[in-house]
Amino acid sequence: MSRNDTAAVVLTYRDVRKQFGDFVALAGVSMEVHKTEVVCLIGPSGSGKSTLLRCTNGLEIIDGGEILLDGCALPRDPRSMRAVRQRMGMVFQNFELFPHKTALANVASGPLTVMRLPRREAQDRAAALLEKVGLADKAASYPANLSGGQQQRVAIARALAMQPEVMLFDEPTSALDPETIGEVLSVMKALAEEGMTMLVVTHEMTFARRVADHVVVFERGAIIEQGPPKQIFDAPLVGRTREFLSHLGWAG
Amino acid sequence: MTLDFSPVLESWRFLLGGLGLTLLLAASTVVCSLVLGGTVGLARCYGPAWLRAPLVFYIDSMRAVPVLVVLVWTYFALPIVTGAVLPPFWAALAALSAHIGAYVAEIVRAGVSSIRPGQTRAALALGMSRAQAVRDVVLPQAIVRMLPAFGSIISIAIKDTAIATVIAVPEYMNRSQTLAGESFHPIEVFLTAMAVYFIILFPVTRAVDMIYVRLAHLGRS
Amino acid sequence: MRFDWSVVWANAGALAGGTELTVLLAAVTMALAIPGGILLALMRLSGSRLLAGTSAGFTELFRNLPLILVIYAAYYILPITVGVAFSPFATGLIALCLNVSAYNGETFRAGIASIRRGQSEAALALGMSRWQAMREVVLPQAVQRVLPVLASTWVSLFKDTSLVSVIAVGELAYTAMRIRSQTFRVLELLTAMAAIYWALGYPQAKLVDWMNRRFGVSE
Repeated sequence: MSRNDTAAVVLTYRDVRKQFGDFVALAGVSMEVHKTEVVCLIGPSGSGKSTLLRCTNGLEIIDGGEILLDGCALPRDPRSMRAVRQRMGMVFQNFELFPHKTALANVASGPLTVMRLPRREAQDRAAALLEKVGLADKAASYPANLSGGQQQRVAIARALAMQPEVMLFDEPTSALDPETIGEVLSVMKALAEEGMTMLVVTHEMTFARRVADHVVVFERGAIIEQGPPKQIFDAPLVGRTREFLSHLGWAG
Repeated sequence: MTLDFSPVLESWRFLLGGLGLTLLLAASTVVCSLVLGGTVGLARCYGPAWLRAPLVFYIDSMRAVPVLVVLVWTYFALPIVTGAVLPPFWAALAALSAHIGAYVAEIVRAGVSSIRPGQTRAALALGMSRAQAVRDVVLPQAIVRMLPAFGSIISIAIKDTAIATVIAVPEYMNRSQTLAGESFHPIEVFLTAMAVYFIILFPVTRAVDMIYVRLAHLGRS
Repeated sequence: MRFDWSVVWANAGALAGGTELTVLLAAVTMALAIPGGILLALMRLSGSRLLAGTSAGFTELFRNLPLILVIYAAYYILPITVGVAFSPFATGLIALCLNVSAYNGETFRAGIASIRRGQSEAALALGMSRWQAMREVVLPQAVQRVLPVLASTWVSLFKDTSLVSVIAVGELAYTAMRIRSQTFRVLELLTAMAAIYWALGYPQAKLVDWMNRRFGVSE
């Protein structure tokens, strides 16, 4: 898999900066995400990967630089940001399913509350998506009765229900037991094969190696290297990348 | 509407005397209820089994019945039963201490039972007697956790002294009512009363909130 | 000393009426003070300094005043300031509502704050507005979480209704003490009054204990 530079650019990051008090989370990050691409962000904890993701859908406001979605800069006021958020889906590390709603109701939340679809339509859409992630039989279950992997799949379905242009994944498998990681990664792989544009912060190097079109390596708020998986994993250009991967026990 | 605070200012000594009694009654109530409630609470946790039921009955009854009712009954009805007449202050002290003592007992029970049983077991394993285990291991940790709740007892005691006005204890609320009636300026009198009580209570509640925050991390095991 | 307990049965109707009014007063107060508390909590958590300050000020004021004083003050101050002559019942109701709303405000504020930030982030990520996130995701969970505390507040409120007897509202305490003055049967009526409160309050307190066990969140 290699980068298709002629595909339309969905997300552009230009010299993005973000600070929390004295701590510099992002020190001028520039990169692009193309349509149908799967871009994986890897790097040590605290290197800014998650912060970049959260700035992308406005959960954090950037301090400098700009982020463009389809060529338009992200707005700063909450109301317009809402409209932008509806075009992106986000999957969180600890799922963040709504515990007081069933799986079906969770998936239908967006269409029902935000898009104001009629209840029937929202539920039909939700049921279809649960089917797609392999959890049709759990529609009436509450999150407390689902395993971590099942909850995360419901969370993916919930994000997909808004029919987003881009899917953002913030360490989707970091909180999962090893046995359930596979089921979530399969869903993500299938999504990628369907052509969804995906921005994934992950520690799952095997997934990144196999599924990503483009890999970006972060360290201390800056990009130290980016390129196709073959380059990053098999023949990194930057020494720090090599060190990081070897610390993870990546043997290629 | 024009406010005329001169009746209040002219009678400041009268009101101050009431305030003094409020504080005296509150302080005495706090001490008595801590002693009573502490004893009852510990007796409930560590005492003989036959004692448990009557103590629980006492605690739950005080939770069920309003302070006003306990006050009124203690002052008017108790003398009929026992033949001994209690002056208003002492009746109020007895009633308030009995009522608040029940809350203290509950605080003690909750505090003690929040200490992991493993702590007691470890102490016993070291060869301590039950009494030593409670005194040296359980209580010190439990008391730290109980401190915020004890703090709020002070606040409750001060507020409840105001109810003692109904049995003619001449504390601040009572004096305010008297003055309101005599001066025909009830609004000014009660506005002043609100200010006075607020000034006394606000630091207490603030201090309790701060203790809660400071000790919160100690409260988690 | 002879005791005449028949006086209690003779006035059972009046005592029942007083009890009814107690329950009514508590129920209406809580019905108003729950939305009142939610409103105060939302004001406190809003970004507006004016709203947050007003809410905090209101809460601090009523947490730091004896309820009996609020009742008396309401009795004298309300008619002049608002210009309407409220009935004792209404005055008592207003005083109780102000008091309980302040406590509920704190309860809901703590309850809302205890809901993980990630929950509202997930709601926002779906494109919900802040208000929708609060209404659909945060508040339902917060209400569930604070139910045991609200139950405790109810039990306290039920007892506090006795204080409006001082402004001649015909609830249980006032009724019992009125009959006492009329019949001079002090011990009988006061004991009956205590017994009725006990009979109503004891099961309520036990119910709160059960709720704490069932729904309470252990720290």
